[in-house]
Amino acid sequence: MDAAVGEFPSLLRSETMSLIQLYVPIDVAHSTVEQLAVLERIQFKDLNPEVNPFQRTYVSQVRRCDEAERRLRFLTVQIASQSIPMRPYLDTIGLFAGRSGAQALEELDSRLVESEQRVAAMNTSYESLEKRALELEEARQVLIETDVFFREASSRSEEIRTSYDDTSAPLLGDVEQRGVEESGFGGFELEFVAGTIDRARMPTFERVLWRVLRGNLYMNYAEIDDSALPVPASESGSSAGGEEKKLRKNVFIIFAHGQELLDKIRKIAESMGATLFPIDSNADKREDKLREVSSRIEDLNSVLYNTNQTRRQELVKIAESISAWWAVVRREKIVYATLNLWQWDQGRKTLVAEGWVPTRDIPLIQGALRQASEDAGSSVSGILHELRAAKNPPTFHRTNKVTEGFQAIIDSYGIGSYQEINPGLFTVITFPFLFAVMFGDIGHGILMAAAAFSLILMEKKLGKKGTGSEIFDTFYFGRYIIFLMGLFAIFTGFIYNDIFSLSLNLAPSQFRWPTDFKAGDVVEGIQTAARYPFGVDPAWHGADNALIFTNSLKMKMSVVMGVLHMSFAICLQIFNHLHFKKPELIWAEFLPQILFMESIFGYLIACIVYKWSVNWEEAARNPPNLLNMLIKMFLSPGNVLPEDQLYPGQATIQVFLLLLALVCVPWMLCTKPYLLWKEHQKITEQGYHGIGANGHDALSQEDESDAEGGGHAVVSAEMDEEHEFDMGEHVIHQVIHTIEFCLGCISNTASYLRLWALSLAHAQLSEVLWSMTIEGAFEMEGAAGVAFLVVMFAMWFTLTVASAFPVANPEAHVKAALTLVLLAVLIVMEGLSAFLHALRLHWVEFNSKFFVGAGRAFEPLTFDGTDEIPAGVIL
Amino acid sequence: MGGGLIFLALFVCIGLAALGFISIPKGPNQVVARTSVLLVITCCWLMWAITYLAQLHPLIRPKRSDLRPPVFAPNDY
Repeated sequence: MDAAVGEFPSLLRSETMSLIQLYVPIDVAHSTVEQLAVLERIQFKDLNPEVNPFQRTYVSQVRRCDEAERRLRFLTVQIASQSIPMRPYLDTIGLFAGRSGAQALEELDSRLVESEQRVAAMNTSYESLEKRALELEEARQVLIETDVFFREASSRSEEIRTSYDDTSAPLLGDVEQRGVEESGFGGFELEFVAGTIDRARMPTFERVLWRVLRGNLYMNYAEIDDSALPVPASESGSSAGGEEKKLRKNVFIIFAHGQELLDKIRKIAESMGATLFPIDSNADKREDKLREVSSRIEDLNSVLYNTNQTRRQELVKIAESISAWWAVVRREKIVYATLNLWQWDQGRKTLVAEGWVPTRDIPLIQGALRQASEDAGSSVSGILHELRAAKNPPTFHRTNKVTEGFQAIIDSYGIGSYQEINPGLFTVITFPFLFAVMFGDIGHGILMAAAAFSLILMEKKLGKKGTGSEIFDTFYFGRYIIFLMGLFAIFTGFIYNDIFSLSLNLAPSQFRWPTDFKAGDVVEGIQTAARYPFGVDPAWHGADNALIFTNSLKMKMSVVMGVLHMSFAICLQIFNHLHFKKPELIWAEFLPQILFMESIFGYLIACIVYKWSVNWEEAARNPPNLLNMLIKMFLSPGNVLPEDQLYPGQATIQVFLLLLALVCVPWMLCTKPYLLWKEHQKITEQGYHGIGANGHDALSQEDESDAEGGGHAVVSAEMDEEHEFDMGEHVIHQVIHTIEFCLGCISNTASYLRLWALSLAHAQLSEVLWSMTIEGAFEMEGAAGVAFLVVMFAMWFTLTVASAFPVANPEAHVKAALTLVLLAVLIVMEGLSAFLHALRLHWVEFNSKFFVGAGRAFEPLTFDGTDEIPAGVIL
Repeated sequence: MGGGLIFLALFVCIGLAALGFISIPKGPNQVVARTSVLLVITCCWLMWAITYLAQLHPLIRPKRSDLRPPVFAPNDY
């Protein structure tokens, strides 16, 4: 059933795939997987589907890779938070050259463990040092502020006397003042509690104290300057070197009398989360303490700095090779995950693998196996064995950099079934062409082609990944599509005779204007003997009735192109039927479909062409309306009024075509189910006659093992079960298919009118842009006119294109930037719109006529993407 | 001129297509290249032929109301 493998791959069908079995000795297994992954040509099947991940052979290695990955993640985040640049992968390839993946992983493991421990240790010590520094800093602040309090109190001696009766005066103010004078609080035992507390908690603290102590306290507080207290790294929960958030704290000092009160104050303070510091009432002792604390803070800061430097050095060293480490770990993980899919043959100490390979590439696989055994230093290499009668192969289209874009947009609709005709082959040309029919303008086409060409020139630099930006990457990936779109747009621009909404006079027009009229009269062009050779005659540009002509032309052109496009799609069915060895379907499906389509719509386009080719003036008749003709063909067949007649014999021919179309409907409806039923009958008959029925080709893929064992009854029962045939289901399926096709013919043909609609919209928008900007400038006269023209040109030009062209004048820059929007909007917006509609025409109208699209994509084993750090690690 | 040009162009295009078909060298891209050449020539000829055909015997003529009568007759140069 598979096509013979030709000398060269073709995009017409997906590649012939073979299911191969590999017998690989264990010591070569690892390097075999590595070589095959580099080759990117084999998709392995999971031979252990019932085994859960924890019971697989290589689960411990996978776990090791996961551990290594975790450590790498930790280190990467550390490096990123310190803003250390990491050397890209390409510069680090040499680090593990010459060593196989397994050896590299061993080495890497020990290094990673070591690095992780060191960095983690440095982190913890840094954090604890920071915390200590914070505490010391708080102590220092407390010392400074309490100093201020005591000095303030001493300076307020005079005030106390005058404010004696003032209810807001502090109760113990005079006592305090006397206490300071007597230095050391000699007689009166005035004690205090000093400490720090969160600024937010301050009011609550005050209120609680006031209530509990019934006002028998004197409290003073001050805010600690915000810049003095960094938040330690551990509290903010971020990585080493976290941001410095400011801790807002206040220093307070509470004076009270009596041990009980002081105890209460201490308890309340502690419960509110305040930190208490022992402060000496003696100023000198406080000064000493302050000096001591300050020097300790300095020491700590220098230690912190050193720790940070050491940690940074360590991270810099790691950053030099971390990309290579990531690659090793990710590759090893892929290798072991693949090895887990293989089956372990206990007796012969080999691993058995099964996978899909394009038949053409089997020699490549054999080469890889040999290479792998060389790498592993073993004399035994893996053995390749091709399996026959394999089921459900994946679909693989071999594309190059030009065709991969087109294939991608077709694959978005659905992956083609194995070896059916690939619409992607034709899409390479028909898609840009249909786009261009909706976009025809020489100027816009040139701009689009130029932009795409510049992207193509940047290919070498940008490579496969493109830039980081997603929007730009979309355009970059489709650069060849856009380039072809632009080229075809230039062609259709010549046909529509439209360059930035103006027309070209490539040859003398076929109309000439009369000479005897007055200005303001409506004049009609006079037909000459010449005919404009290429495209729409320039005389139509600016004519009052231009749209009447172009609409008629474009509508008919759309219908003609649509019917031809769809007929082509129906004809592609033949190739599928022949390839899958079902020639009866050509009679059952293809013929009624094509006859139905052509007898109605093929007839329509033939009439369109015929009507164009008749010289109606010479015939001295009114040309009949084709739409009415088609409607009357259905509503009153056989009756054609003489004045509506397009050609002699029309009535008979129309009746014949109508009957033909009518016959096609039951033809489509009944033939295929009948054929299926007959086949089924043949199978069941054969089932009663003997064992080992080979049956029809279509049903031959079942396992041959069923043919043995059991009696006839068992065999036939089995056969019945396997070829479960539900006639009702097939009939319903065919009814739906028929209705879909017949109604679809009409609606799809009408759908092609979007080719007209969008090209009309494009032409009108383009004209509006021109008339709103530059045209006005041409009409102004004098110096103002010149200036205005220049400005408007800049506007129009920029709107149209601008960014690629350097503008010397800064003013024009501004206008250019403003106007760039308009033409960019026009090209980009219209371009996207026409792209979408052309794509829809392909997906729905074209594909529905022959494409099944029930395949699965070929996803080969690959190391692609392992040279990058996975997304999400660095936020 | 006239309708014959369409057939002339058709034969030229068939010739070009045949030439293209034969001259594309064997290789992995032969199928794509051949298909593309055929499709390009077909599509372009089709679009040109439709436009030419539509203007062969036009049913309406352009009308304008913004012209000024010429001072010199067109053939006076």
